[in-house]
Amino acid sequence: MAGQSDPHVSLFSPPEVEFMAEDELVEIVPNMRMDPLNFICGDFGPFYPQIPVKVPLWLAAALKKRGKCTIRPPQWMSIENLTKVLEGEREDRGTFQAVPFHYIEISRLLFDHARDDIPDIYMVRSLIEDIRDVRLHKVETNLEKFSATSAVKIAHLSAMEVNVVRPFVVRALQAFYKHDNPVLMVDLDSVSDRQSHVTRQRQMPNNAQKQPLKRR
Amino acid sequence: MNDTSSRNGKYFDIDEILIEEELVPVVFHKSANGVKVDPSAEKDCVDEGAKVELPFWLSQELYLRQAVSINVPACFNQKTRREIQADAANVDLRSRCPYFYEFGCKIAPIVGDRTIGKMLLSTFQMRYKDILTKAHTAAYAVASKFLAVLTKEETNLYEAAQSSMAAFKKWRIGGPRIQRASVLGRKRKPID
Repeated sequence: MAGQSDPHVSLFSPPEVEFMAEDELVEIVPNMRMDPLNFICGDFGPFYPQIPVKVPLWLAAALKKRGKCTIRPPQWMSIENLTKVLEGEREDRGTFQAVPFHYIEISRLLFDHARDDIPDIYMVRSLIEDIRDVRLHKVETNLEKFSATSAVKIAHLSAMEVNVVRPFVVRALQAFYKHDNPVLMVDLDSVSDRQSHVTRQRQMPNNAQKQPLKRR
Repeated sequence: MNDTSSRNGKYFDIDEILIEEELVPVVFHKSANGVKVDPSAEKDCVDEGAKVELPFWLSQELYLRQAVSINVPACFNQKTRREIQADAANVDLRSRCPYFYEFGCKIAPIVGDRTIGKMLLSTFQMRYKDILTKAHTAAYAVASKFLAVLTKEETNLYEAAQSSMAAFKKWRIGGPRIQRASVLGRKRKPID
């Protein structure tokens, strides 16, 4: 699966990443009665008033729009947890905190569709924005470090963060890989490399023989 | 790696064509009749030992037929290398050779200079950091001045970083999630 927005680059546009994030499950509290819904991605429901149920985010947003439910913000979206994560991100410059893979997209979708269901929305929003900015900056400093590598491993990066740096990183790694491998540059080069190796090996024993001769 | 397939794959690549247009200084080993390399020359022939500049694609073919020997182009000479060593980020590589890296990779095995490969790698390493930081932070006015010294490959890299960052910022600010297709807005033409 590749992004539909630009056929030439293997890149998802941010709305496409958001689309994928809409498959994440959230808990809703319906205020209506409804039979179970059978989708390709699974069965959801049945829905009873005041009984929490887990549904995909897109369904939650659609129901919320019609005033049929309230969305329960996920556990990680609490102020305590977010403050902890933010502190962790600021203290540890090298590594990333474990956050939900789609935290940027989910938080934005919830802020857009269910602002009245999130307690302390201003605080939560600014915390998430801080976390996101700190992490993006960290990604950049991380990328500055690598040179002449053909693989990078950064743990706990989220979908959107990966997506933002993907086109740059892919190209940069390709360039590093190409210039670091003289064999890959052109076939001729590898041939001449091998030739010089052979001649060097041949010359070595000759020199070794000559040296004792000179000493005599 | 299979060189022929990779070459075929890039046959219609406009960048590939432009790279091979770069001029290379060559020395003729044989005199050639009926060719006019230099437009100001009096005769239609090239003498043995004549030094001329030919496009890469032509000099490569002549080199394979042992008609010419190829010298190191000006963009890889000692003077440029010293400048790169001094401050790689500010060397104007675009004016020297817009395809500095790709051209270097092509010319290195032919002139038999293995230091070119290493020089390309170290140049890229040094300039890479600047591209990264500028791509994500610099304002447009600063960026356009900075862009002028980048080679084509570096510009691609810079634009890749910048466009994905711009797309992300645009998404973050928000706006209409569903856009109406331009076709829908149009009014139907009355049919006579």
